[in-house]
Amino acid sequence: MSEAGVKDIQVPSGKTGTTKAYHDLRSFLATLEAEGQLVRVKNEVDPEEIGAAGRASANLKNGPAVFFEKVKGYKNPVVTNVHGSWANHALMMGMDKDTPVKEQFLELSRRWDLYPVAPKRVPTAPVNENTVTENINIFDIISLYRINTYDSGCFLSKACIVSADPEDPTSYGKTNLGTYRMQVKGKDKLGIQALPFHDIGLQLSKAEALNQPVPIAICLGCDPITTFMASTPIRYDQSEYDYVGALNNGVPMEITKSATLGLEIPAGCEICIEGYIEPRLRECEGPFGEFPGSYSGARLQAVVRITAISHRNNPVFENLYLGIPWSEIDYLMALNTSVPLYKMLKDTFPEVQAVNAMYTHGIGVIVSTKVRFGGFGKAVAMRLLTTPHGMAYNKIIIVVDEFVDPFNLEQVMWAMTTRVDPDKDVSVIKNCPGMPLDPSSNPPGMHNKLIIDATTPKAPEIVSRETELLTPPAGTEKWEEIISQLVKAARK
Amino acid sequence: MICPRCDTDKVEVMATSPVGHVWELYLCKTCTYSWRSTETPNKTDPKLYNHKFKIKPETIPSMLVIPPVPPLKA
Ligand SMILES: [Zn+2]
Repeated sequence: MSEAGVKDIQVPSGKTGTTKAYHDLRSFLATLEAEGQLVRVKNEVDPEEIGAAGRASANLKNGPAVFFEKVKGYKNPVVTNVHGSWANHALMMGMDKDTPVKEQFLELSRRWDLYPVAPKRVPTAPVNENTVTENINIFDIISLYRINTYDSGCFLSKACIVSADPEDPTSYGKTNLGTYRMQVKGKDKLGIQALPFHDIGLQLSKAEALNQPVPIAICLGCDPITTFMASTPIRYDQSEYDYVGALNNGVPMEITKSATLGLEIPAGCEICIEGYIEPRLRECEGPFGEFPGSYSGARLQAVVRITAISHRNNPVFENLYLGIPWSEIDYLMALNTSVPLYKMLKDTFPEVQAVNAMYTHGIGVIVSTKVRFGGFGKAVAMRLLTTPHGMAYNKIIIVVDEFVDPFNLEQVMWAMTTRVDPDKDVSVIKNCPGMPLDPSSNPPGMHNKLIIDATTPKAPEIVSRETELLTPPAGTEKWEEIISQLVKAARK
Repeated sequence: MICPRCDTDKVEVMATSPVGHVWELYLCKTCTYSWRSTETPNKTDPKLYNHKFKIKPETIPSMLVIPPVPPLKA
């Protein structure tokens, strides 16, 4: 489907082009439950069972969020797998839960262009109902647990972390919202992974050059689009909050000041941990079962000192399971990685039709593009390797023709098997930046890259044989619609 | 008490369960590994901890530093 073919999406409210925007996690969980996409575990569970439940739910087709009402020894509930299926992902966007992935991609891409939608600042928020500043004990409030067997401890795997630019602390645009893994190392102490190419790595580096701490607010249990946006790669000077409003189809998000440091945080969050990244300090952190499906190894990483914890009454701890794909993190980082890469490519190559960067956070990418002349597919791939996200993450790039749906792996395999001459269409680009968590990067953070041009040859490339593509018989589209409606009716 | 991962004895109680006294969480001050008293022996017992994940305390200072610490600006 061409971009001009983007349809307005019919949403549950019955209006076209509007959507249901969630201002907090609780209202989204209520929708998931009403749609059969959340299950409740009422019996008491051991904390370490929650990781297994996250894995289990991700293994199911359209697996639900799993809500644990009672965790042994703890006060508060836990929810996992909130973003962990295409059904939940569609519901997050206010779309029908059966919406196909490519349609979700195109709708997300349409909303992307509504940026910026400024947030609404609210003076009070439920997260500030309770604030602890003395005798801080994170375990009193958050039901923490080990996710994978050889993780070095309990981790926050789904926090939205707000941090300011140390050289420009009042800059709204440079304030960053990101998701970085955090290891719990004490009642008031955390470890944080701040990779150099992430925004928080840049802020930390600036602060450490001046021997200054970095103030941060770690927000847990945010509304689903805010969490989604916190894991989306955008430019350093762009505002995640302005994007949340865009992705909510123009509905501004609500932000408020954190209780003690005054950082602007998502007003709907369940818990806000405030504190500082200590300058010039590194301490043993990890391993952690990471998104490439392997453990990361132990490294010397940065340390956070907690100075306050604010929370709603009976706060829900939202955390995610990650392991061998696919798990919740793969749904969370699928389309929000695909769309920005698509936008960056489309800027210079309007011929590009869609980008599927959902394999291991973009380590594998499939681009569909029109081809103007010989070598065009390879040039598109090279451009991808020079984008800010693609530079570090993208390792294996497959380029297919415009009529191939990059989200349909059967079609992609067809292109690979019928369009690739290994001798001329496969290229290795040596010694590029790489993703250190990818166990094949060597040394960690350096990589060779693979480009497979699976597009149909065009002149002046020598076209050895003309091919004639099959087209679907008349009435095919109509029958697809009829059959899918029949399936829906049968499920009700 | 001995840390299951690095076999040193600088271990402290990081937390006790906020409800009842049903578990304790321990923290190793040397390698920052932590474990809950109710976890399975492959996470709590130094002899049964997977040898691939063991850490020798003397190797900690030479681990990869992420991100690197920049030089101080004058
Ligand atoms: Zn240890």
